[in-house]
Amino acid sequence: MTGGSLPAPVRGPIPARAGIGLRSQHHEAILETASPPAWLEAHTENYFHAGGPAVRALERVRSQYPLSLHGVGLGLGSADPIDRGHLERVRDAVQRFEPALVSEHACWGHVDGEHFNDLLPLPYTEEAVEHLATRVREVQDFLGRQILVENLSAYVSFASSQLSEGAFLAAVVERSGCGLLLDVNNAYVNAANLGLDPAAFFAALPRHAVQEIHLAGHSRRWVGARELLIDDHGSAVCDDVWDLYEDALRRFGPVPTLIEWDNDVPSLATLLAEAARADQRLQRCHAAAA
Amino acid sequence: MQRPPDSASDLKALQAAFGRSVRSATANPADLQLLAGSDDATGFGQRIDVYRNNAWQFFLTALERTYPVTQRRVGADFFRQLARDYRGQHPSQHGDLHWIGESFPAWLADRMAGTDYEWLADLARLEWACEIAVAAARRDPVGLDSLGRFDADVLSDLALVLQPSLQLVASPFPIWSVWQANQHEEPAAPVDLAAGAEHCAVVCVADRVAVYRLEAADYRLLQHLHAGMSLGDATEAAASAAGTLDRLLSRLLGWAFGEGLVVQFVRASPA
Repeated sequence: MTGGSLPAPVRGPIPARAGIGLRSQHHEAILETASPPAWLEAHTENYFHAGGPAVRALERVRSQYPLSLHGVGLGLGSADPIDRGHLERVRDAVQRFEPALVSEHACWGHVDGEHFNDLLPLPYTEEAVEHLATRVREVQDFLGRQILVENLSAYVSFASSQLSEGAFLAAVVERSGCGLLLDVNNAYVNAANLGLDPAAFFAALPRHAVQEIHLAGHSRRWVGARELLIDDHGSAVCDDVWDLYEDALRRFGPVPTLIEWDNDVPSLATLLAEAARADQRLQRCHAAAA
Repeated sequence: MQRPPDSASDLKALQAAFGRSVRSATANPADLQLLAGSDDATGFGQRIDVYRNNAWQFFLTALERTYPVTQRRVGADFFRQLARDYRGQHPSQHGDLHWIGESFPAWLADRMAGTDYEWLADLARLEWACEIAVAAARRDPVGLDSLGRFDADVLSDLALVLQPSLQLVASPFPIWSVWQANQHEEPAAPVDLAAGAEHCAVVCVADRVAVYRLEAADYRLLQHLHAGMSLGDATEAAASAAGTLDRLLSRLLGWAFGEGLVVQFVRASPA
């Protein structure tokens, strides 16, 4: 780290407005834009290093924007032991960048010594609820703060599942005290791929727990005899997901909302235009709640 | 719907079956039965291909990002084959993609031993050094003028603390020339692989990785200084080969201070 003091981070909660995912292509532009988003979210693992251009860029960005750190590599629901080194690096990043929100996924990622570097689905069983809730408590105790857990997009469901996804997440919230990060695109993708009802999913989630929403694009791919929606974060949010987002706002109220666009990353202007579409809906929600 | 799980190991068993199915080209029937039951085994077996493909693409992309010059030299198709073979022996060990290529140079050295491509492993070592350098902490450098605060009679006892990002890579092959020739979009100029050894210093300065080619004597001196030797001991050790001690020291220090490599002076520990 360079000598001298770092710029002070923006403190306080994430506003109930639209933010965007911070990508390295925009590290400079985001500091200079005339129409800044309300907040930013960064992938925790991209800022694990002791130094380097990405870390220094986030230190600068952090002095201008409220920040959320979103992890993709902890594999909270893995039955094998949690990677303590990874968890320590998450803690170091949290201490360094002081994010207003910290989140991870309701997934697993490693088994028998191999990491798949993907967000793998859990069976919705009592055993998995207890396991994930225990892990979330351990992580929260280690970090000294609450985390949000995000619902997953999935392409398979397990024969052993006993609970709905919504009931599963509600039980994890109840037993761990975590919050929820509701990914509306994931709910849409799951509805199409697995024949689920997103309204029933929303209804099963505790209203108070949803503290952030994700919006993203998806693609379509034929797998065997059926077409699947693939949650690839590589395009604009589709009209159906915007409609589902409005349903989510009606149920959960105005919640900080993030535009996720991680692949084929567009210009900052395109991302900001997507954020503006979310902001319009958030403002209508604020007005209705007033 | 299948019988609900009733033992504490069901989650582990399910994840192990899923992992085997993602790792192999096709899932075995017993694993599919465990995961999907008998009603949906065929569809499950097809849809798990999304995860199989993701795991492979994430691995390949991480390796390509770390080793762009190696990939360019062997071509995308052969690099893909190398990545597949490497993954078979070195599956990802971390939730952080950064570490996927850590064992690649050593694995490549074994793979290419006795072939015309032995130099490829050293090129990969240079690229891994770049990966490490860019992630390292950076400390504020000190200038050559700050030596002035020390009495002349203690100068030879001083050791230099160098930037944490500094990595040293030497090879019997001209790896710096290969690396340098492949830093632009246009086709690389040919490099004579029989041109002999090259010695490289990699450091991240001003948010940019710089790869320097050093004279062999300068490289040895920098190695000694990097290991914590005092200026006196390092020059003595290096000079036995180089002979011209003063010229060597002034040339290397001039470069090291000029590039911001020196971050602190300390009294060297007694040998």
